[in-house]
Amino acid sequence: MTELPWLYAALSAYALATIASLVGVGRLGTPATSPADFAVSEDQRNNERLVLALMTASVILLVVTLTDRWLRIGHGPFVNLFELLISQLFSLGLVYAVAYWRIPVLRPTSVVVLPLMGVLAVWVLVLEPSDSVFPPTYHNPWLWAHVGFGKFFLAFSLIGTGLAGVILLRSRAYFKNLFRHLPDNVILDKLAWRFMLLALVFDSLMLIAGGVWAQDAWGRYWAWDALETSSFLNWLLLGASIHARTTYNVPIRVGALLIIGIFVFAFVTYFGTPFYSEAAHKGVI
Amino acid sequence: MRQPAVKSVLRRLASTKLTLLWMVLLGVGATLSYGNPVETSIWVLIVPMLLLAINLVAAIISNPRINRRGGLLVFHIGLLGIVVLAAIGRLTHMEARVEIISGNEFSHDHLIEVRAGPLHNGAINEVRFVQGPYTVEYRARMSRGRTYSQVAIPDGEGGWYESVVGDDRPLVIEGYRFYTTFNKGFAPIMSWIGEEGNVIETGAVHMPSYPLFDFKQSNSWTPKGGDEIKFWLQLETGLNAEEAWVLDGREATGTLVVNVAGKRTELLPGESVKMAGGSLRYEQLTTWMGYKLYYDPTLQWMFLISVITVAGLGGHFWRKLSAEPLGLDDALRGEKKLVKGSVPAPRSASV
Ligand code: HEM
Repeated sequence: MTELPWLYAALSAYALATIASLVGVGRLGTPATSPADFAVSEDQRNNERLVLALMTASVILLVVTLTDRWLRIGHGPFVNLFELLISQLFSLGLVYAVAYWRIPVLRPTSVVVLPLMGVLAVWVLVLEPSDSVFPPTYHNPWLWAHVGFGKFFLAFSLIGTGLAGVILLRSRAYFKNLFRHLPDNVILDKLAWRFMLLALVFDSLMLIAGGVWAQDAWGRYWAWDALETSSFLNWLLLGASIHARTTYNVPIRVGALLIIGIFVFAFVTYFGTPFYSEAAHKGVI
Repeated sequence: MRQPAVKSVLRRLASTKLTLLWMVLLGVGATLSYGNPVETSIWVLIVPMLLLAINLVAAIISNPRINRRGGLLVFHIGLLGIVVLAAIGRLTHMEARVEIISGNEFSHDHLIEVRAGPLHNGAINEVRFVQGPYTVEYRARMSRGRTYSQVAIPDGEGGWYESVVGDDRPLVIEGYRFYTTFNKGFAPIMSWIGEEGNVIETGAVHMPSYPLFDFKQSNSWTPKGGDEIKFWLQLETGLNAEEAWVLDGREATGTLVVNVAGKRTELLPGESVKMAGGSLRYEQLTTWMGYKLYYDPTLQWMFLISVITVAGLGGHFWRKLSAEPLGLDDALRGEKKLVKGSVPAPRSASV
């Protein structure tokens, strides 16, 4: 398992990024006494640079991990949970790092997003890093499209979840102070739902690419197998939540809970369903 | 007087509150269909989809929030199109299985487990191809890899062309898609020879799936008016569960054990055994391939409409983004105007 040292290095970098972001945002915890306290200090900016550098390092180390494993076992990280988690840590990390860099308002969400990714990191550590066998039905370019779109879907939902987390944390006095330099919840809510709309675009693309692949792989594009049903329900929940928001005056905090619900549903669909259901993606068997 | 009445009915049918209700119903239907249990009626999906379709058509006609926004309109009409196509697909589809012996031509008479929609009218009797040999890659611990099945297809000008198909590369003829499956095996070709040495009948003994039923390669046949003949095939295929190997019928050999009325004879290809009324000759060992058949004339349309649908949603997102960019940067990061309580009011409460 020559890739393991790289993996440990990558996860250490993630852990450091998480600590740095918690410390950085936590430092804002002192009560504001002047208007300047609502601004982002040079200290804070340096902290953000550190977090971004550590995330970037981690993503690069994950690329090395994945490449090393790929060369060793001869196929990409598409089959067992160990590979899937590393691959997601890479893609979520990459998309989030780019968003963190380009959209500064998202930076404080790292105190929600990085610990969430920590769940994946801890999970990967307790799994047996066994080699997987590439199923015959996985030699298909649509697998790439399917997986790729899915990665963006999950990443955008994660960003939405980060914002939703900040909205909910803010309702407590202590945290309110921490996020004081962020705009009002109305704006965060709007931004979060923008990301959820983008997530819906990629979720839909993932379902289409999945259907084309399933047609080639199993001779039918849709059969309500466990994974298909779960992803459809996830898509429907996302669409229904977007609708609920345009139909009713959904309170911002309820909206935030909906976003978290969608993310949790996606999380279970990705990392739960394929592994507890024998029938899911039968090509593996 | 009638105009307003129609309008009010339309508006009620178009209610987005109903949309939510029907979406919940569809969610329940999909949950019941989880894993595709046989006892779940297809109506748990059809009814909510129909209700959603009515709701959507009414909304498209009457609600400017949807019919004045191009991308969103394309997206919703696309969703409607997908539902309609799925329905047409179910009504016209066909699924079946077929097992073809190498060297034989496909015949629709041999289809088994046929399931077809009531409006299926494909030209299955026009489908012609001849099964050739095949290879299947196995990795250690009997994990099946790729299948390469050779088939010959008429080129329409009196000749044939060859193609190689597999589990994920179907043979497509007349819209019918033939996928290879794990279900494949061996078939000794036998001839029944009369007392005068004339071949009365030649046929194949279809042995069970291999290597799934490696341990019971047996079958039986009862000639008209004769005793039951039991066959047992002892195969040499190079199978080694611990190592990678390739299943190739052309490389395999098999000794056929023939048992009639308690008398056991071992035959190699070319050998025969005498029995009452004639003799039985083991001509050669060949293979058979099991295919899964799928026919759905809506496949390409479904793909096209799905892509257009998402493009509509993408366009809708893009328009929103250009109207109000994501980068709220100016409104942020310590600018004075953002000091508590002075947040600019959002332009709209929706996303
Ligand atoms: C089938 C019945 C449906 C009807 C009658 C319907 C109706 C509408 C209407 C009227 C709007 C405009 C809302 C507004 O801004 O005021 C809308 C927006 C939208 N709908 Fe639907 N819809 C239906 C199904 C769906 C489904 C199944 C999905 C996806 C799962 C979906 C996704 C969306 C999205 C993403 C928007 C855009 C929201 C926004 O940008 O503000 N719709 N729909």
